[in-house]
Amino acid sequence: MKVVEINDVYKTYNDTEVEVRAVNGVTLSFEKGDFAVIVGPSGSGKTTLLNLIGGLDQPTAGEIIVAGHRLSELKPSELIDFRMDHVGFVFQSYNLIPVLTAAENVEFIMSLQKWPKEKRIARTEEMLRSVGLADRHRSRPSQLSGGQQQRVAVARALAPRPQFILADEPTANLDSKSAETLLDIMEKLNREEEMTFIFSTHDVRVMKRARRVITLEDGRVVSDERTNHTA
Amino acid sequence: MITSIAWKNVWRNKTRSLTVIAAVTVGVFASVFALAAINSSIVQRIDSAVNEELSHIQINTKEFRSSSDILSTIPESEKVTGILRNTPGVTGVTGRIIVRGLASTPAGSAGVEITGIDTAAEKEMFTLDRKLIPGTGSYFGAGTRLNSAFIGEKLARELYIVRYILRPESFTDLSEKGVPPAVAEKLRPLEGVRYSTEKKLTEAYSALLTAKEIKKYGLLIREAAWSYREGSRIILSFLDVNGNQTGAAFRISGIYRTNNDFFEAMSVFVPDEELRKLTGMEDGAYHRLIARLGEDDLTDRVTPVLKEALPGLEVMNWKEIQVDLAMIADYINQIYAVFMVLILAALSFGIVNTMLMAVLERTRELGMLSAVGMNRRRIFMMIMLESVFLSVVGGFAGMAVSGIVIGITGHTGINLVKYSEGLEAFGYSAHLYPTIGADFFIILTVLIVITGILSALYPARKALQLNPVEALRGE
Repeated sequence: MKVVEINDVYKTYNDTEVEVRAVNGVTLSFEKGDFAVIVGPSGSGKTTLLNLIGGLDQPTAGEIIVAGHRLSELKPSELIDFRMDHVGFVFQSYNLIPVLTAAENVEFIMSLQKWPKEKRIARTEEMLRSVGLADRHRSRPSQLSGGQQQRVAVARALAPRPQFILADEPTANLDSKSAETLLDIMEKLNREEEMTFIFSTHDVRVMKRARRVITLEDGRVVSDERTNHTA
Repeated sequence: MITSIAWKNVWRNKTRSLTVIAAVTVGVFASVFALAAINSSIVQRIDSAVNEELSHIQINTKEFRSSSDILSTIPESEKVTGILRNTPGVTGVTGRIIVRGLASTPAGSAGVEITGIDTAAEKEMFTLDRKLIPGTGSYFGAGTRLNSAFIGEKLARELYIVRYILRPESFTDLSEKGVPPAVAEKLRPLEGVRYSTEKKLTEAYSALLTAKEIKKYGLLIREAAWSYREGSRIILSFLDVNGNQTGAAFRISGIYRTNNDFFEAMSVFVPDEELRKLTGMEDGAYHRLIARLGEDDLTDRVTPVLKEALPGLEVMNWKEIQVDLAMIADYINQIYAVFMVLILAALSFGIVNTMLMAVLERTRELGMLSAVGMNRRRIFMMIMLESVFLSVVGGFAGMAVSGIVIGITGHTGINLVKYSEGLEAFGYSAHLYPTIGADFFIILTVLIVITGILSALYPARKALQLNPVEALRGE
């Protein structure tokens, strides 16, 4: 089942005197349960493509369809609701809410979605267990290591059961051990929850774990390969 | 969750938030206390006007107030009294005979308004008896003769009934009140000397003391030297019902001291039987009937009822008689609210600045919140709540401090005697007992919340203008 369809999408920036085509005619689709990475050198358009898929930005041309929604047809306020209901974000620098505990961070999006409290608490406990942080549920982000913070961010992204997870360089700030642990957890969740993961990364460790590697250069897809790796 | 985040955000930068909260606290406290002090003098003035001078409602003939004609008495006063007594809200009724005349002693004279009163009834309805200066007699006590008069201190001075003498006991009094022996010694040459006015005494001791001593002990010296000869008499002369000059000697039963110099100088009270006898007025004839109400707030409700019931007479409540005071009383909270709006507007700049800094240093976080689905309304709400919390915490702290300080000073009072001449000439007390109504605190709470909301508008607008993609890059 297709979760994301990207049809001939362009994204052009005119901020400077020179027109920059960050995404240049990309056509792709992602299936439910994909564990895919988008790789490429800096400036190849990875983050821009991720932003377009996540509804953070609008394409200059082409269309993106997620769970039946044509993103270009959504108003800004509808895009925010779309992101809340369908997309889970994992950012390079964790971006947890510093004044909330780990559990409250995980609960946050579900509370925006108005989940009943009991269900929210149960799901939060389940997710913190899944990422191995059940005993740190009361810790503030400042009391957690980078790897632990990123695991909380993954739990937050997955908790409301979005259509897919977009992870922009999730291991970039982590040491090897933390990165491996995080990838183990994401693989496990991909398998157990059938969650679609789309990464952008430079990290070879992430590429090795991926079952699909999409390579971008100058905003174009230059290769899209399925690997033999199984979770 | 939004409320919880907003509250926790307030305490992210404790120093900054506490600085703003302290500014709001001090601002609110200073303004509320200043208003309470001003309010106290107004409340005391209204209290004096109603309880010592006017009561709630006065009834007389339509021409009496302007003509003061002795023949202008209330027709069928018994019937009118009955109507008053049967009117709901009225708790007391008394009649007064009022004549204009002259009060004199061998040393001086002054024009006065002589009021013949039912002393027992007036004691129930007014509090003037409590204004008796200790040691000057009584308010028409049991043994008081009919030809007695209760007069104000100001009139007593004008008639030179009050004199100033530093007697041996005056020095004991000064010593007990903390005047140093060295200063008392300097005053010894004045012992036993009689001064007819306060001014003459002041000139005398000023020649002996330093400027600092005069400033510090002048009031105590004047109080210690204040002297009144018990049993003093004054001559009251006025016209009788036939237009003939009449009068009699009246023994001073007591001297009262109020905050109203004009009232003190003008108002002489005597038993109505004596005045009735001297003027030749008929039994039961009164120039004015006074109605006392159960509560001040009933004034506006009962007045129209009486006006309708007594169409041929002039029915005026204290607000209509003292229009300026009534206007202040009716609009006092609005006046205070305007004052507070100005103060809070000034304080809001501090809140805006703090909130703006809070927004600008959380750009990336706000971008993340927008990315994960926090809509504009919720982001606005979060910023607004933070701003409201800052103003409310500071505002409530300011109100709490004000409440405590007003509670203490409302009990102990603030002494402004140094400036008393100016104040009392306008009927205001030199001793302030700060007070402010609970309803003012309700208005203030609303204003503080509005300040918080308005202070959030600009920072919130800045936050809503953020593009999540750029904000996430930390730009």
